[in-house]
Amino acid sequence: MNDARKTFHRDLEDVQQELIRISAGVVESIPKCTAVLLEQDLAGAESMISADDEIDARTIDLEDRCIQILALQAPVAGELRQVISALKICAEIERSADLVVNICKAARRIYGHDFDPRLRGLVLKMSEQARHLFSEATSAYMTMDASRAAAIDDMDSFLDDLQRQFIQAIFESHAAGRIDLQVAIQLAVVARFYERIGDHAVNIGEKVRFQVTGLPPDRSGAARHRQRLTGDPTPFSGIQRPQETPPTSE
Amino acid sequence: MSFVLGVLLGLAAGVVSYLLFAATSRELPIISSPESTTEIDTRAQENIASLMQIQDAISSLSVGVVVVDEKGVETFRNKLAESVTGIPHADVLVEEVVEQHVKFALNGETKRQVLDLFGPPRKVFSVSATPLLIGGAVVMIEDITESFLVDAVRTDFVANISHELKTPVGALAVLAEALSQEDDLDIIQRLSEKMVDEAIRVGRTIDDLLELSRIEFGGEAVKEEVDAEAIILASISRVSPLATAHSIKVAMIDLTQPLKVVGDRRQLASAIGNLVENAVKYSEADSSVEVSARADGEWVEFTVRDFGLGIPSRDLDRVFERFYRVDRARSRDTGGTGLGLAIVRHVANNHGGEVSVTSIEGEGSTFAFKIPKFVVHNQTLMKESA
Repeated sequence: MNDARKTFHRDLEDVQQELIRISAGVVESIPKCTAVLLEQDLAGAESMISADDEIDARTIDLEDRCIQILALQAPVAGELRQVISALKICAEIERSADLVVNICKAARRIYGHDFDPRLRGLVLKMSEQARHLFSEATSAYMTMDASRAAAIDDMDSFLDDLQRQFIQAIFESHAAGRIDLQVAIQLAVVARFYERIGDHAVNIGEKVRFQVTGLPPDRSGAARHRQRLTGDPTPFSGIQRPQETPPTSE
Repeated sequence: MSFVLGVLLGLAAGVVSYLLFAATSRELPIISSPESTTEIDTRAQENIASLMQIQDAISSLSVGVVVVDEKGVETFRNKLAESVTGIPHADVLVEEVVEQHVKFALNGETKRQVLDLFGPPRKVFSVSATPLLIGGAVVMIEDITESFLVDAVRTDFVANISHELKTPVGALAVLAEALSQEDDLDIIQRLSEKMVDEAIRVGRTIDDLLELSRIEFGGEAVKEEVDAEAIILASISRVSPLATAHSIKVAMIDLTQPLKVVGDRRQLASAIGNLVENAVKYSEADSSVEVSARADGEWVEFTVRDFGLGIPSRDLDRVFERFYRVDRARSRDTGGTGLGLAIVRHVANNHGGEVSVTSIEGEGSTFAFKIPKFVVHNQTLMKESA
């Protein structure tokens, strides 16, 4: 029994460690994909697109390990939350890595087209903000810091703002004839990708808070719904967890 | 260099592990022969002292060192290896590579991996692990950011200089060939005009290269008293035809006091002139360029500010390299040689000063050129330019 528990705890630690590593890799890939986009680095784009397969394989393996722990060890309380949040964070990370790939693919599509310095500056700002959010989410998970995780949501509004500015700048650039429609659309989509990466970081933050405190997110639509229904915000009232906006399809 | 370091480290780590091994195994005889306890105690203490000394020495290295035993369990880690990058998520990535290399080394293989982290700031690390003779392995984590960047500069320079000289010469050859088979006077006229343009272009590149190497080797720098305002006014009048053509307003912000610097009038004029010319070239039409100078303690700082395209942040620290171009296509239109900012930097070095830039893409750039009010030892400062 004692041995079994030891393995169990080691398995839990391994899962957490692997999740941190994959997540750190994604943090690093955000400025990389931006460099690919701004420097029109086709070879870089190719290598990043194929590198995503490894992340896919690792996340699937991680999910398997989580499910195995659930099935064989039947964890409870904090340990149950740990496995559940790992499962969910795993999906967020995998999706974020896909968004990075999408940016590389967009870079391939606009290859050979230049766009103005103002747009480039804003792309860089969005990338830096998205990287910052994701790195904060990773750090919050590493240190199990619920308040750090909660701050990510507030920081995300800055990224949303940048995205709006960027869309505006695309309109102006297109109206002035500096970029053609195809490039304008690709860039708008790229802005959306960065913004989505930020959203995934916020979601990771929510899961970290859930793991630490056991409470569901308190500022989501689900929380408002709960409030309207009962006027009694009991944490575990059997109401569904917040629905996330469906990820942009590739 | 890195190889020698590796061997040294390997040795040191070997000694550490040996001493650890020796210190622990010595406890056995203590039980069997109690009469020599004190002697063994002193020896053990000596060993531990030298062990600590070696640990101390390894800790002060500028290379991250991790020692593992034959099972891969960590036995020693120097201070630098605790947080190589100083960024939590980047440390995680370094750690992952370290773990891989421990596995390689325990299988008797020595591999080296270069880890390119985008940061910011961008950092490049080399990770390698070597098996130790008495079992276990030592991992070395080396920050090679600087040499990596220097290599990039060198490769770029060779590629750029051949490009800058070959392109116009190639164009000349093609134009001359076309000219030799042409009867139409209009076309002949146009082709020969183009040839003149290309010849001027290559001529200017060569002039700038010569100027650069003259400044680089510090030749004939004259020390005299120069009025800052006069330099600025001269630079502004030099670019005024270009500025008027693009309706860009170049203005000097009035100096609050007369400023004097000591330096080579020609070099200083060339440096400030280059900065102002760049500002005009990379400004949007109808915008303005501001030039000013102010005293800052022992220094005089000239600033040239534009509200133009700005410089992408990844290029900021490279714009002072010879032939480094942010935007190759545009620089052809503006007719620059790609040497202007390199000249500026060398003039600053020659005067014991420095030049720096801050910029936001799409909002503009500010170049600050700082030289001492009094240049004391011009001769010794020149050496820095190499």
